[in-house]
Amino acid sequence: MISRTSRALLMAATLAGNLVGTGMATAADKVVYQLDWLPGGDKAPVYVGIQEGYFTDEDIEVSIASGRGSTDAVTKMATGQSDIGSADIGALMAARAQDDVPVSAVYALFTQAPHAFFTLADSDIETITDIEGKRVATSPFTSSNAFLPLVLKENDMPADAVTLTKSDPGALGPMLITGNTDAIIAWVTNVALFKSQAAEAGKDIRVLPWSEAGLELYSSSIVAADKFLEERPEVARRFLKAFAKAVAFTRDNPEKAGEHLHAMVPEVDPDVAAGQIRDTMELIFNDVTEKDGVGVFTPERIKKTWAYVSEANELPEDALDPETAVKRGFIPESK
Amino acid sequence: MNPKQSSDPRLRRRLMQAAPWVFFVGLIALWELVCRVADLPTFVLPAPSAIAQAFVDVEFSRWMQHLWATLRVALMGFFISILISIPIAIAMMRSELLQRTLYPLLVVIQSTPVVAVAPLIIVLMGSDDPSRVLITCLLTFFPLVVSTATGINETPAELIELSRSLDAPIRRETWQIRIPYAIPHIFSGLKVAITLAIIGAVVAEFVAAEEGLGYFIQFSTSFFKIPQAFAGLFFLAVISLLLFKSVQWTQQIFFAWSLPKKKS
Repeated sequence: MISRTSRALLMAATLAGNLVGTGMATAADKVVYQLDWLPGGDKAPVYVGIQEGYFTDEDIEVSIASGRGSTDAVTKMATGQSDIGSADIGALMAARAQDDVPVSAVYALFTQAPHAFFTLADSDIETITDIEGKRVATSPFTSSNAFLPLVLKENDMPADAVTLTKSDPGALGPMLITGNTDAIIAWVTNVALFKSQAAEAGKDIRVLPWSEAGLELYSSSIVAADKFLEERPEVARRFLKAFAKAVAFTRDNPEKAGEHLHAMVPEVDPDVAAGQIRDTMELIFNDVTEKDGVGVFTPERIKKTWAYVSEANELPEDALDPETAVKRGFIPESK
Repeated sequence: MNPKQSSDPRLRRRLMQAAPWVFFVGLIALWELVCRVADLPTFVLPAPSAIAQAFVDVEFSRWMQHLWATLRVALMGFFISILISIPIAIAMMRSELLQRTLYPLLVVIQSTPVVAVAPLIIVLMGSDDPSRVLITCLLTFFPLVVSTATGINETPAELIELSRSLDAPIRRETWQIRIPYAIPHIFSGLKVAITLAIIGAVVAEFVAAEEGLGYFIQFSTSFFKIPQAFAGLFFLAVISLLLFKSVQWTQQIFFAWSLPKKKS
């Protein structure tokens, strides 16, 4: 007869064996998340999702790859180097219209355009219309450049209303502060950064967002490779469920989110990241998301976004049915 | 005092040794002075003291991580280039047909700007080390092929004739006559290639990377941390210099006979 101790050992061994077996059978799903630029506060939710264990809870192991612009991010997803990530839906629509790339938008992140004019607080540019006749500097590869003529048009100004110069993104702030240009074009996600740079020279920045001047469109979105969505739809759903939790956490805890980002990318200053997060949240949580829900693409706004994108990129409006760039059904209930 | 006017050869030698350091330190001091007197903001031109502070502020382990990422790619690219280019140069020397076929292709590859091709390589091969090593190889192998081929072709004709009159096999002729004559040229190529290897690794990191000094510099610039970007740049320059020196030391230690004789 088996002794009580032996039986206990046998049971423990069986249990351990079962646990190991179970663990092997349910190894976490690996997902490569593609950033559209370098890590920063505006990219915080994915880092928060990892640090807070939201992805682990969904049995997903996320690795992050940095990118060099939306087009680069879309290309990397199209070629299978990454599964899901952030990119401007405008860049995706333009790419689909021209090349039918196998990538689709699944979650609306920025429901307002992030583009803006930045001027010095003591300049005479107080409204968008004051920009006429001024010198404006922008970086060569930003998607903002395509929308500039539309903003000028919306405000009854000709396309050549400003003298545009293109410069390295890192040089824009110094150019503005030293008076080499009257205004620059940048994203509102970087207001805190530009303000801190201006403060060093004893100056302040005024921001004129284009969204307040009639540019109503979706911008940075979560997009995914069609292959990923077709082959692993459940993983995509679970990913977005965890991501949505991370977005909410980031909104409620910008400082903690900054620290999470810093923990994974030590070069990012947690305070600067917290500032960027606060600037970014206005693009994610606003009147549009209040009405439609977080992550939701409405057909009307998608159509409107494509109208802007096609005009900005000089593409015929019938080159793409904008609805084909979106795949709904992956986001969790959000209202 | 002008070293040439000095009658004491020891003093003259010391002055010669000290001159570059004195010039370098003087330049840094002038830079610091200009920044302080003109009260330049760091985003216009950071003072050397601000750069040094930025260097210290970044954890040592992070520096080592970025350094290793760049160095790994640069050295892999460099050594793979050596393995590819020297056999190509020897093969081209032995076959005129191969020379006529390969040389234009090599020139085309060299003339194509790597910065323009790098994004395509990353898309085709992924954003891991192999693509970055290939980008580095594309920059480094051409000077090595050209310098090795030049050295091999400069072997004195009478030595080749002598070797052939003694019925020496081609392999012996190559290893014992042509390659030794090519050594000074090969090292010239290696010195150019090692600095290009660092440039290649950085270019690759500018296109796609999660670590490395190129990535660090780009990252710092995007956060307007200009002193930190300068610190990365300075670190990169020091690494390039050390690698260049290590090629020189290798030649001095293992191939001292190939160095030009010092003027007495």
